[in-house]
Amino acid sequence: MYKIMMFEGGVYKYTELKELIEDIGGFILQESIMQTETILHLAFPGEEEQEIRNKVKELGGKLQDLPLAGTEIMIVVPSLGKHHSVNPLCDIAEFLRRKGAITNIMGLARGVGKRIAQMTVQEKAIIEECDAAVFVFGDFKECIEEKMKLCEMIEVPYMIVGGPPDLELEHYVGGIGRVTDRMRRKKEIDTLQEMTVKLEGILAEKRKEMEEDPLAASPLFIKEMIEMIMPPKAGEELPLVIQLDGLRVKIGEEDEERIMDIEVGEKKLSAICEMKKSLYEGYLLKILPEAVTGGVF
Amino acid sequence: MEVKVEGEDEFANKSYEKICQDAFRNIGVRTSIDHTYLYCNPKEHVFIISVKIGQVSSPVKVGDIIQRGKDKLKITDEKYAPRLLTLLWDKYGKRVQQVSRLEIGLKLEEEEIEALSDLIVYDPREDLIARILDGIDRILPEGARVRSPIPSTSRITIIASENPIEEDWKKKAEEMVSVVGEHV
Repeated sequence: MYKIMMFEGGVYKYTELKELIEDIGGFILQESIMQTETILHLAFPGEEEQEIRNKVKELGGKLQDLPLAGTEIMIVVPSLGKHHSVNPLCDIAEFLRRKGAITNIMGLARGVGKRIAQMTVQEKAIIEECDAAVFVFGDFKECIEEKMKLCEMIEVPYMIVGGPPDLELEHYVGGIGRVTDRMRRKKEIDTLQEMTVKLEGILAEKRKEMEEDPLAASPLFIKEMIEMIMPPKAGEELPLVIQLDGLRVKIGEEDEERIMDIEVGEKKLSAICEMKKSLYEGYLLKILPEAVTGGVF
Repeated sequence: MEVKVEGEDEFANKSYEKICQDAFRNIGVRTSIDHTYLYCNPKEHVFIISVKIGQVSSPVKVGDIIQRGKDKLKITDEKYAPRLLTLLWDKYGKRVQQVSRLEIGLKLEEEEIEALSDLIVYDPREDLIARILDGIDRILPEGARVRSPIPSTSRITIIASENPIEEDWKKKAEEMVSVVGEHV
């Protein structure tokens, strides 16, 4: 299994770190250099961690664990109105991003209220394109219990965030109700941390299930292969989003066939992946299990 | 501004108290409100808010927001600059020009300049009700879209729910508001 960590440091000899990662069979997931500040998201085999740590120490940088890296998470609020955004919606999204996740924000068309709250089939399908969903509901116990029914329809792992601290619901974190300013106080950050730990637990269950029936190739490896053939265009942000069991590829219709012809090991991408158009953005590549496709090498 | 929130859930009450304070402060009407009373009943989905309007700050005059120079005015509070310029252009036309971001050039008679200071740029009373209603809209839960106002002097009272407003709630609201009104 790959371990994903974030390197923060200067530009001094950082290319040596990149070379080391490539030598040990790892990948650079994200790279951003702002003047002298370098941030790299690194994925490498877990057993090589010490070697990476030694190199980072030599360069005088910092390594930080990214528990949610390699996942795409949808944050769902009843509406995008003033009541929910920017706080706490963006605070939650920002916190999850700092933990390595790629986050999307979604306001339901008719999600407000108690009795009248609804979720359309299309909204449900969009949420299910992601690895997990975080539902942000308000302050009232009765409303959260009622809206819980909406979440139960969802087929991907989810968690609910709301105000009352003592609700006995599955995957629920309390203490984040309606917020009027940025969540920057220690108590609020602790609640966000608690939420992240719970989400990590939910995703760990999904990861464990996938380990029992491993994928034909890691999404990280496929990303690398795609980037070799179709390098990201200048100014393009996150053209390839890694998910637990696949990738979101932001390409136009003209590149659809080209991408399926990319070779991964001895097989073509079309042989190990199912591709469908996303309702939200780009195309979704779902990697089939190795048991179905056979090994790629 | 004093805020009282009544409801069964302790957490929600505390949270809504803060929401009331912050929503009215963000809009800039907090100092013009004496008392806010909010009743929350999520079980039946009824929310009643009653706002008692207090003293409203006095109108802002040109003299309050400018420094006078020779043939020039310097704006000291940029917040009012657009309103000030509109007022002066309406009154004096092309004889008033914005020289730079905070400077206004004048080609006026001496008496006109003297009278300038007393012109009213902004009267907070003008849009007070609209702003308070905006604040109420931000406080009440989004789902409670069916609204019913209860008329009274110097008080804005609104019943909100996602269901049709029942007569019982109206009576209850009137009773509550009159009781609360006596104590404040």
